[in-house]
Amino acid sequence: MSLLYPLLLSSALFGIGLYGVLARRNAVLMLLGVELMLNAVNLNLVAFDAWFADRMHTGQVLTLFTIALAAAEIGLGLAIVLALFRAVRTVDVDEVGR
Amino acid sequence: MIRRWGYVGITAVLAVVVAIWAVPELGRDTVTFVTIGQTGPDGGPPLPSLSPDLLIYPGTAQILLLAVGVGLLVQIYSTAYLGHHPRYRSYALVIVLFLIAMIAVVGTTNLWVLLVGWEVMGLCSYLLIGHEWESPVARAGAAKAFLVTRIADLGLVMAIIVIGETYGTYDIVGAQVAQSEQPRHATLIGLLVLVAVVGKSAQFPLHTWLPDAMPGPTPITALIHAATMVAAGVYLAARLFQLYADSQVVLTAMAVVAAITMLMGALFAWVQTDLKRALAWSTVSQLALMLAAVAVGDPEAGTDHLLAHGVFKALLFLGCGCVMLAVGSSALSSMGGLRRRMPVTFWTMTAGFAALAGLVPTAGFFTKDSVLHAIERATDGDRGLAAGTAWVLLVVALVTTFVTAAYATRLWVLTFFGAGHGAGPHGTLGQDVREAPLAMAGPLVVLAVATFALSVGQPLHLGTGLLSTVIAVAGVAAVLVAARRGSTLAWAPRPLAAELWLDRPFSRWILALGTGASRVVVELDREVVDVYPRGGESLAATISRGLGLAQSRNVQRYATVLAVGVVMLVVIGVVVS
Amino acid sequence: MNATEVVFVVLSVLAAGSALLAMTSRQLVHAALWLVVTLGAVAGCFVLMTAEFIAWVQVLVYVGAVVVLVIFALMLTRQGREQGSGTTAEVTGNRWIAAVLGVVAAVGLGATTIAGFGGERIEGRRIGTAASIGDALFTDWVLPFEILSGVLLAALVGAIVLSRSGSDR
Repeated sequence: MSLLYPLLLSSALFGIGLYGVLARRNAVLMLLGVELMLNAVNLNLVAFDAWFADRMHTGQVLTLFTIALAAAEIGLGLAIVLALFRAVRTVDVDEVGR
Repeated sequence: MIRRWGYVGITAVLAVVVAIWAVPELGRDTVTFVTIGQTGPDGGPPLPSLSPDLLIYPGTAQILLLAVGVGLLVQIYSTAYLGHHPRYRSYALVIVLFLIAMIAVVGTTNLWVLLVGWEVMGLCSYLLIGHEWESPVARAGAAKAFLVTRIADLGLVMAIIVIGETYGTYDIVGAQVAQSEQPRHATLIGLLVLVAVVGKSAQFPLHTWLPDAMPGPTPITALIHAATMVAAGVYLAARLFQLYADSQVVLTAMAVVAAITMLMGALFAWVQTDLKRALAWSTVSQLALMLAAVAVGDPEAGTDHLLAHGVFKALLFLGCGCVMLAVGSSALSSMGGLRRRMPVTFWTMTAGFAALAGLVPTAGFFTKDSVLHAIERATDGDRGLAAGTAWVLLVVALVTTFVTAAYATRLWVLTFFGAGHGAGPHGTLGQDVREAPLAMAGPLVVLAVATFALSVGQPLHLGTGLLSTVIAVAGVAAVLVAARRGSTLAWAPRPLAAELWLDRPFSRWILALGTGASRVVVELDREVVDVYPRGGESLAATISRGLGLAQSRNVQRYATVLAVGVVMLVVIGVVVS
Repeated sequence: MNATEVVFVVLSVLAAGSALLAMTSRQLVHAALWLVVTLGAVAGCFVLMTAEFIAWVQVLVYVGAVVVLVIFALMLTRQGREQGSGTTAEVTGNRWIAAVLGVVAAVGLGATTIAGFGGERIEGRRIGTAASIGDALFTDWVLPFEILSGVLLAALVGAIVLSRSGSDR
């Protein structure tokens, strides 16, 4: 299998995630954009691991770590969003700034 | 009432202390130093120092006693005259402060201490003229007095610095010792001292502040603007006389100033319609007479006349205050016929007017006679002053004697005789016009007695004495005859009534000049200097508006900027590599 | 192009398309559900790249935990005015800049990978089974693994503190 397919998919997911982070008004969906970008990174890691095929499985182990960190990040992020919502009764980033 | 007498008590303590100090010196001819601290007249500390030493010699002792004596009497007088004023306390305490400053000026040997006292006196004068600050006239008079005497103070500061630089000491005695070895810069020092004297003693051309200071309380006028502060100018001239005695320029200038002021003041006093203002012009004229004595080289005669004048002019002003309290105005038109209603005031002020006119048994006659004699001696031309100048000065002084006698008689007649023509607000003398209370009449009696007592032991110069007596009697007689014939004694040519428009430079020209200059400065400040702050302000505003765009409080804008930055960095990295 | 590659391309199109829908959908819950599709497709991609254990973890953690959490959060933060129409503008004013940036990032990354790894192929020599990954994790990577557990604990405590601090008041 060509290495380019997963890499190109990863690039596309990263661009879409970036757009989501920068464009969505809802803070929860901004976090979803971040998750997408992280997934693009995971895809890269796994693809290079399969291509490089070293003994330590570096790419796949790092992917595991990234998934764990992403889970932690989404937990904290959503806690912050909920605190924000309790404080100003909105999660609209445009209105929060006002 | 008791609290008011407390301030009298403070003044009395001050007077007693000074008396203990000064009375033993009266008979002595030698100079006594009262050394406070370790410094002496020679071997003093390095320059400039503020030594609290006092130097007392006979003339000083007399003036100190005059100052505290009149001050004490004025305090007693004020308990009745001004006792119910809401600001009586500050009034009484400022008088005490003034007396202390006067003692410092008269007694010190240190020029800087003298300057401090001189300034404090000016400040007290300002505060007390403006005591009734509710009235705009009093405010204006106080400000004018303060500003004009400031010019004099500038002259004094310059004089002190020049003396210090010339003789290497700021000690009066030290400077005199150094001067006797090698006189230097006599003309410069003398002219600067003359500036100081002209301002403080209200001589021509800085004379206009004294009449305008009359809105102040009358006891204050008696103390500061007749007996002590204005006389301090003359005292300074006498005290520093030795330092400029060699300069004919200074003596001539002084003589010219004295001649102009003496005649002018007497003539202005004649035309006044206000008793207090007339007495103020009279003070200007008499101060000029003292200055003339200094100019002809006899400062002793000047300080003697200062003493006598201080007593009888304080008497006249305090009497004027009694009259004002009785009729409620200081205008001559509201007076007249007060002789029977106010006998004590009448008799004491009669003594005062006699001394002013220079009639025989009073102190005023003897001291004026001494001054005239000194001028007469100077006409031989070997006393520093040119003979011609001295002759002119003598003639002017004699004319002034005539005018003085005439206006003194006029004021006396208009105040106490007649039927009270047009008197009072109701046309006749009201029932409430009566003799002043004891606290006011008492000081009058004391001063009247002093007017005669001071003539004891005064030297008599037969020639000038006879001449001046004849002239003064002629002046008195002329006015009395005119009054007997029914004249209203209101002969006042227009230039004299307008005081020769000499106030105009102060009231208009300087004002206009100052206003114009200030306007230029304001424009400069606004158009030139302010450009920098305004430019800085608009620059800062522009920058912060630009920076404020970045501070949108919107997370996504920040993230966008971040992303753009990253992309640009990558692009730059790719392009460069 | 063999069968594996065909399947991979199909999954890739599915993943990219559903990701696009997730990021542009006006319905918030729909967005979350589209994300499930994306994550599932990516998990399929992992399987095709011989990383089966990662694929399961992806399904378990992302699809099972993260998306559920997100849906809960969406429901908790639902605002009154969005309930009725659901058609309010869900994107901000700078979406065009965001779109340009997204395209630039994708194209840039894609161009870089094409330039760098144009002819490379994945052979599948080492299969990422649970056994082999576990072996690597607990021998070579045990220290980072333990540190990660500390990070997770800290995140847990932080999340609890954050969500409790508001309700105390």
